[in-house]
Amino acid sequence: MTSQISKLVFIAFFAMCAISISAQQPQMQALIGQSLSKLQQPSPENFLNCVAELKRVDAMFPDSIQPKYQMALQSLNFAIMNPAAEPTEALLADAEQTINKMESMTADQSDLCTLRGYLYMVRIVQNPAQNGRLYYLDVMQNFEKAIRLNPNNIVAKQLQQKFFEGMKQASE
Amino acid sequence: MCACKISAQTLISGVVTDDRGPLVGANVFIVGTIDGALSDSTGHFSFHTDKTGEMALRASFVGYEDFTLTATSHSNINIRMHERPTSIDEVVVAASNYSFGKSDNFKTMDALDVVLAGNSCGDIVAALQTLPGTQKVGEDNKLYVRGGESDECQTFVNGMHVLEPYTANVNNNGSRGRFSPFLFKGINFSLGGYNGEYGQALSAVLPMETKDVAESDKLGVSASLVDWNAGGTKSFENSSLSFNADYTSLGLYNAIFPDRCSWTRPYGKLSGEAQYKAELSQTSVAKAYVGYDFTTVGQQIDERALSLNEHNIYANATFKSNIGKGCNIFMGIANSSIISNIDDALTAGDHYHNRRNEIHIKAELRKLFSPALKMSVGAEEYIRNSTKRYGQSCYELQYNLTAAHIDAQIRIAPKLFLTLATRAENTSYDHRWLLMPRTTLSFVHSKQFQISAMIGRYSQTAADDYIAQSDYRLSQNTANHAIISLQYSHNKTLLRIEPYYKKYSRLPLLVDNTYENNGYGTSHGIDFFAENHSLTENLITTLSYSFNQSKRLYLDYDAPRTPSYASRHNVRMTAKYSLGKIIFGLADSFATGRQTATRTTPNYNSLDANITMLVNPKIIVYSSISNILGRTNIYGYDTGNASVTSTRDRFFYIGIFVSLINNKAYDISNF
Repeated sequence: MTSQISKLVFIAFFAMCAISISAQQPQMQALIGQSLSKLQQPSPENFLNCVAELKRVDAMFPDSIQPKYQMALQSLNFAIMNPAAEPTEALLADAEQTINKMESMTADQSDLCTLRGYLYMVRIVQNPAQNGRLYYLDVMQNFEKAIRLNPNNIVAKQLQQKFFEGMKQASE
Repeated sequence: MCACKISAQTLISGVVTDDRGPLVGANVFIVGTIDGALSDSTGHFSFHTDKTGEMALRASFVGYEDFTLTATSHSNINIRMHERPTSIDEVVVAASNYSFGKSDNFKTMDALDVVLAGNSCGDIVAALQTLPGTQKVGEDNKLYVRGGESDECQTFVNGMHVLEPYTANVNNNGSRGRFSPFLFKGINFSLGGYNGEYGQALSAVLPMETKDVAESDKLGVSASLVDWNAGGTKSFENSSLSFNADYTSLGLYNAIFPDRCSWTRPYGKLSGEAQYKAELSQTSVAKAYVGYDFTTVGQQIDERALSLNEHNIYANATFKSNIGKGCNIFMGIANSSIISNIDDALTAGDHYHNRRNEIHIKAELRKLFSPALKMSVGAEEYIRNSTKRYGQSCYELQYNLTAAHIDAQIRIAPKLFLTLATRAENTSYDHRWLLMPRTTLSFVHSKQFQISAMIGRYSQTAADDYIAQSDYRLSQNTANHAIISLQYSHNKTLLRIEPYYKKYSRLPLLVDNTYENNGYGTSHGIDFFAENHSLTENLITTLSYSFNQSKRLYLDYDAPRTPSYASRHNVRMTAKYSLGKIIFGLADSFATGRQTATRTTPNYNSLDANITMLVNPKIIVYSSISNILGRTNIYGYDTGNASVTSTRDRFFYIGIFVSLINNKAYDISNF
């Protein structure tokens, strides 16, 4: 499931960047774009550096949601591709804190549900035997809600589809 | 060209450490830019920047305080970071509390774990009896906690009180919890030392939170030898409506597996429940629940043809909203009504009628003032009335109970947390305010280790029969709790040890044919719990041990003695093993004998097993058998000195759960 999701993630986040960056402050957009461009070569090191840079952008624009969204999304992208890597737990903890912070900032609910569903999905990838049954419904419900709130949420749609495929393979 | 560019830049370098040494992966950067680097495996960092001269440098790392300094020199910068104190909102004090559902932000157990526990057959109460601190009382199967009576443990659904959480049954036939575990997203079982929000419980509380708005439609059916169920959910844009109907009958089962009883009418229960949940806004949720059970059973006991009918209706409506600035409000109302009629209850030809009603109204305001202070205040009202008619013994009882509480959770040092709470209660029949201070001090060293000490006072009104018989002179029973809790988890193993001491006072005691508040008692002991996930892959084992020494003078006792429901040693061992789509469960419960007025019962032992097969994503088959060894457990002795036992030694269950409309696999919840 990890490799399929990694492919999806790249499609998804570039699509997402294209959609949301146009609505944000020019300097911030440029900096986010600059950070995300590192992921054209998606090595673990580049991911970690990208997340670190996004945190710096977030420190420059603390009232903006966009850097937080990208921080959480890229942390989850790293975690799903490197579920047992050393920095993964810290990144997941950070992503969860960021999602909670976004929640208190009246962020887009559809995006929030996408991130929450994705967070649970990472937990399943980390330990399918133990976490599959525990978080399965949380993943499903969050993605369903994300799509209901915003039927054009490409990330949620594709993550949901990949999740279905992964679960189907696991149950065969 | 590149060389020229780099030479014009400033090189910033240094090392990041914490109390223990180098910190790996800290994000060091110049404030207001994205120039920075992550510290390496030795804590060192270096990066180039266009900035020159004095600059503000910041280091951040998950779980640590941000570190900012004005750097005048650009090399050999030493950054020493300090762990961020846990916010009061993030800390999870586990003392005296077992959570099913979400705990520490991620789930530890869910409803299916409840179902798969031992021989629970989907009964929350039976599943909780695998935990330490509970007593095995086989004649009614209710929750008895740390030497307390079963009614000292009170149930709350979405914060609202449930007057009767058990299904009705005749003597020596175990009751079940009346709520399905699949209704709930979280179940907390507190065995004492709970905060000011909860009252009217001398020993324990069982708060349960129903699921949130469903995102998709569901329809499912289930069938077994004893119960048949259909339920579903219709989801709307921001709300969902769920229903469930269930019919339970032991008629077929009794015909296949006869027991020691002579049934004139097999146990039967018809129940229905519905719930409406709505997200009124992004921060407001309203939930309404209504459930109805009708239970009927008839049993021939010597000359008596006992016939029991009971109606149990419970409804609640709650509203929760985050109103901003760290404030949350909660409002709720609940109504419980139970009407029981028993013919030939104690002698042939008699008739017993009992009607109980409770309205519970509650409001609460919670505010997070800072990462170091959280407070809540609340007020509630219980309006209770009951009627009983049995021969010459008749009464109509009506009274109100008003309560208010204030709780403060304070972080007094980075890892030290203090909870101060006070609850005040007043009953309309004695007009006296009872003040109950409660406090908990917790040292939460990490997610792996914490230690807590809690002390507090708790109260509960006596049962209606005693209040009526005392002509409203019985004031509330009280209990003081003192608990120490130590929890340690490491490498997929959780250990918990909790010694406790409870002192009861003002218990009802029969003096000259009337009840007075002269009763008292103590209960002390130690609970031990271990859970392991690492013995072998896919195996989860638990071990619970409880030692309890309980003594009280109450009701019709003529001297202080150990209550007949209390056993000194209780041991439970469970194992759950997943083999692909088959899950095996094994549980053994052992309890030492109980002291009755005349003699001590033999030890109790029951070895139970269950197997769950995930046949396909829409079908689950569950089967269990209790007391495999077929031991006849004796729970006590009646007035004729005959043994009190269950009507059957073993119980076999097999059920099939089918999802008809549901896009989620292995989800047997229709709600």
